[in-house]
Amino acid sequence: MTRLRVPQTLLASIALLAIVALLGSGASASTQQDYISALVSATIVYGLYMFVGSSGVISFGHISFAAIGAFSAGVLTIPVGPKHLTMPGLWPFLAQHSVSSLESLVIAAVLGGVSALVIGFPLMRLSGIAAGIATFAVLQITYNVLNQWTLIGPGPTTLALVPTTTGIWVSLLGAIFSAIVAFAYQSSRRGRLLRAAREDAAAAQAIGVHVVRERLLAFGLSGAICGLGGALLVHQLGSITTDQVYLELTFLTLAMLVIGGSGSLWGATVGALAISLLDSFLNTAENSVHVVFFELTLPNGSSDVILGIIMTLVILFRPQGLTGGSEFSLAGLARVGRLIAASPAKLRHRPARSEGPPAPRTDM
Amino acid sequence: MVAEPALEIDSLDVRYGVVPAVRGATLTVGRGEIVGLVGPTGAGKSTTMLAVMGVVAPAGGTIRFEGSSIVGRPTERIVRMGLGLVPEGRHVFEALTVEENLRLGLIGRPDQSGVERDMEWIHGLFPVVYEFRRRQAGLLSGGQRQQLAIARALLARPRMLLLDEPSLGLAPIVVDTVFAALGEIRRSGVTILLVEQRAQITVGFADRTYVMSNGILKMELTATDADATDRLVDAYFGS
Amino acid sequence: MNAGQVIFDGLALGALYALVAIGLALVFGVLRLINFAQGELITAGAYSLYLTDNLPALASIVICFAVCIGLSVLIERVAFRPLRGASPATTLVATFAVAFALEAIWLMAFSSNGKPADPLASLNQIAIGGSLALRWVTIVEMAAGVVLLGGVALVLARTSVGLQMRAAATDFRMARLLGVRTNLVISLAFVIAGVMAAVVAVLFTVQQPSVTPTFGFDITLVALVGAVVGGVDRLWTATAGAFAIGFASSMLADLLPSSQLQFQTAWVFLLVLVLLLLRPAGLFSTLSRSTVERV
Repeated sequence: MTRLRVPQTLLASIALLAIVALLGSGASASTQQDYISALVSATIVYGLYMFVGSSGVISFGHISFAAIGAFSAGVLTIPVGPKHLTMPGLWPFLAQHSVSSLESLVIAAVLGGVSALVIGFPLMRLSGIAAGIATFAVLQITYNVLNQWTLIGPGPTTLALVPTTTGIWVSLLGAIFSAIVAFAYQSSRRGRLLRAAREDAAAAQAIGVHVVRERLLAFGLSGAICGLGGALLVHQLGSITTDQVYLELTFLTLAMLVIGGSGSLWGATVGALAISLLDSFLNTAENSVHVVFFELTLPNGSSDVILGIIMTLVILFRPQGLTGGSEFSLAGLARVGRLIAASPAKLRHRPARSEGPPAPRTDM
Repeated sequence: MVAEPALEIDSLDVRYGVVPAVRGATLTVGRGEIVGLVGPTGAGKSTTMLAVMGVVAPAGGTIRFEGSSIVGRPTERIVRMGLGLVPEGRHVFEALTVEENLRLGLIGRPDQSGVERDMEWIHGLFPVVYEFRRRQAGLLSGGQRQQLAIARALLARPRMLLLDEPSLGLAPIVVDTVFAALGEIRRSGVTILLVEQRAQITVGFADRTYVMSNGILKMELTATDADATDRLVDAYFGS
Repeated sequence: MNAGQVIFDGLALGALYALVAIGLALVFGVLRLINFAQGELITAGAYSLYLTDNLPALASIVICFAVCIGLSVLIERVAFRPLRGASPATTLVATFAVAFALEAIWLMAFSSNGKPADPLASLNQIAIGGSLALRWVTIVEMAAGVVLLGGVALVLARTSVGLQMRAAATDFRMARLLGVRTNLVISLAFVIAGVMAAVVAVLFTVQQPSVTPTFGFDITLVALVGAVVGGVDRLWTATAGAFAIGFASSMLADLLPSSQLQFQTAWVFLLVLVLLLLRPAGLFSTLSRSTVERV
């Protein structure tokens, strides 16, 4: 049963990504950017999902790898001539070399993966809140270094003149590739071991699962995908500052994953696309937008307010995420159909759940 | 036989996610009775008690205490109605002193009169609790913790006490102390529902004993069945 | 710079972070919830100071307290209470989402330009002059830190509701089984968090009289990191950790060679990483590591 369901979730995710790309390909140039953003977000969220979804450990550090990917890909692809002008302090090796966009994607993924492995090596022992804060520290350090160190990049100024090669199809390919990697990992033996360890660490350890090593593998892979996502991002935007790959993106990608349902690939797909497109739509609506019959114009600055409120509401009413954390399946779709047809009272009938937080025994 | 019911559970269903933990349990405890509930690990005994206390929400069925339905009421209100649970594992607050643990027991009391008299009674019942009142609860032994946990629950002046595996992990002599105290508590008028894995002692001790397995109540035994090992074994492992 | 001055600055910053950490630690204690929205309370308080600038300072401050406490309790009631028992990732993102929405509201209502608010600007005056300038605000911050921490500790240790709070923080379910009114206890934790936020809003505007949408969020993040490094599950360790990170980053600003000054944040967080790796349960905690991993 689960065996049968598994390919469905990958195919459904790819189909959804493709639908977004098709919609985007028919849209005007400016609107198309929204669809590209959604697909690039999906790539980064897949990266985040590979670690958080499999290990159950929260990470605030993943955007570090997206930042590393974005800045390495950007710095490497700017032509040598303008590079001397915009980044005079650059390390000579970086200043004198330039690579193609495709090469830069590979390099970004490798750098993202390697830095995740190096950073993860000491960090993977940590769990819970210590892991959350440690990964947050990684984000702070990455941000500070990228923002100040002119030897490796533009420092506090904007990294500009990056070739804009992430079109709608490139972003689709990137997202599909990431979905396949994430799927291949989660259905591999190692991926399943880590999932088992998430459910019951003690039992997993007892049958010889090396939890720290499994986490490190997931962390490295997810760092690589985030690096790729960052590179796609910089090639979409053409210019980037460190603030664009910092706290807000960290929060938004985490929210996408949790809102979609952090336990499943399908959840990551749904969450990333839904929140990203909603965000873009609200931003556009600030300059007025046609919604079926009427013109919608939102007050300036209200889009983030609405986005924040919608995200809060989704979490309140669907704490397990939009997908409930389960993978896509046709059988599941039929079940949802029946549920919707059923009386609302039945929907509200929650299964037994402890009302308090799972309280570890600690003293204040 | 049961003249005036204290607790009535009818067709109780509890699920954890989709996994059923209790399936259609129906049992009654009369006022002033000691009723046992035995069965192997995972039989649904603890879950039944947690459902009574409102800690887990039933998927179906009714629970009535002294005539009024308590399903859906918050735990702290159920406590104030006169139900108390001494959970499995005792759950004393290790970082707090014995005295502070006892003071927490007073929170659920319907009124604060007669505290001193109750304290005295409890100190008589469990002298170790009095002896170690200034000590950190984390420093107590398993048996002492069990006595503290029961004492704490009694301070809320429950009319009915639920006990989940009070003998778990205790030396035989301590088990005797605890059971003797339970007899004393019952004589003071408190109704008792006693969950145990030690079936034989329980059947002998309680007025009546239900046997539960795989979330289903299998049978009911009386004290005279204590030696009917065959029936017990059947109930445990029979389908 | 003068060594005494460095220490005074460090004490002031540390005390400020410690005040933030008291609220974080209490809420974490009862709910196991890292409340990222706590910083928004400080911002809300600071904006209320700006909006009531024309009132007498005392009235302005009273309103600030009302705003912070009211918002704190409101957020708990509306956004966090329905999520009790949900997974830590979900509740964490919920506090994030609330913070995100509130920050967007500040941005929409007040723009990103700083707004002036300084009801107690006179505290900027120098209390002890000479070679090392000790400003009044430093003294007040230190005193507020000590008094409020002591006050909260006293409530926890001596009162019935404090005992109930400690019980709920240790074993939430057992506390309920004893009849502890957990909603009341949780509300109290959020009230205290609101009080702390108001104190921080009033005192921080003395040092930084220009209120921006991220006014409270930034200091809360640092205080939170410090609290976790110290051990967020206990009041003392969390406050000590937050104080330490404030003190350390202030010291580092003076100790680092000027070429490294731009990397001050990186150095601070590198230190955070090392400490977390060495003592995951908290620098000042006596708990075993396994206890924390269950969070």
